[in-house]
Amino acid sequence: MSVYRRGLVSRWVEGLRYGGGVGQWSWLRHRSTGLGILLYLVVHIWDTFLVIFSPASYDAIMGIYGGKFDGVEYPLLRWAFRLGELGLIASVVFHAVNGLRVILFDLSPIRAVGAQKELFWAVTALFFFIMIPVAFIVIHSLVAEPTTVTAAIMLRLDLVRSFAY
Amino acid sequence: MAVTARSRRVKPAGGFELAAWYFMRISGLFLVFLALGHLCIMHLIHNVESINYNFVSDRWTNPRTGYIWRLWDLTMVNLAILHGFNGLRQILEEWINQAKSRVLLRTGIWIFAGALLLLGNYAILMFVKDADYLKNRRDAAADAVTVKAGVERSGSPRTRASVVVFDAQR
Repeated sequence: MSVYRRGLVSRWVEGLRYGGGVGQWSWLRHRSTGLGILLYLVVHIWDTFLVIFSPASYDAIMGIYGGKFDGVEYPLLRWAFRLGELGLIASVVFHAVNGLRVILFDLSPIRAVGAQKELFWAVTALFFFIMIPVAFIVIHSLVAEPTTVTAAIMLRLDLVRSFAY
Repeated sequence: MAVTARSRRVKPAGGFELAAWYFMRISGLFLVFLALGHLCIMHLIHNVESINYNFVSDRWTNPRTGYIWRLWDLTMVNLAILHGFNGLRQILEEWINQAKSRVLLRTGIWIFAGALLLLGNYAILMFVKDADYLKNRRDAAADAVTVKAGVERSGSPRTRASVVVFDAQR
């Protein structure tokens, strides 16, 4: 039994040429964000395991996530990790919102296929609706010292922090 | 329209694949709340740069709320690993179609996932606060601040004291 299987590159090129419309890109994004999140999940379970195995190593790793190595802050490292963090949040948000779209397709395939384009744009809109303030918060904590308005907001956040942690 | 709907028949007919299909939807719904809530708490309300051993040990050993966070993390880590590795298996099985390779792939994936499940569950369930480590850290931080305050001689004694407390808390 021999099955003809195309090579990796030709499958890739054919995938890009495939006229799947908006669904094709949702599918590709859902997949790539899923793989990215899984990669981080594996790392994240290992680093959190250090909390029970070696507290000092845990603090060292958390320092690296915040751009500090051996107590010294490296701006480039900090920016790289914090932008990676933003990418991770964006991946999870997209995967979650698009996953809800997939569930809608399963609940009512005929109606969902009829509204395929609308659902795609609804996912895109909801994604940006969540991500624009999130990106603002993450990047603001990178570039600005909390001085005026943000300091007041942060002070009020302390109340939330005291029970959500 | 009926044709397009018929051509999108992705739900498996039965057996393990059907169970996996249902699992992906149900765990996904749970994870929308658990994972997005986790991200919101850790990355927006708090900050990666303020999360450390002190933070995690307080969170998990708080007498009133500790068990809630442990239950949250436990549910999330189990669902996330199974959801993630089943997704990886589905992707790879589109590329690997020989029966022997598939058995090897599934074995490998579930051994790896099982090991991660053990690590995650063990850390969350068996965690005990390392008071000695925290005390040493607090002492070191207080020493550093005392030295700094002595050198700089700026601010009232009260400010210096609050700085010590603040640093010790971190």
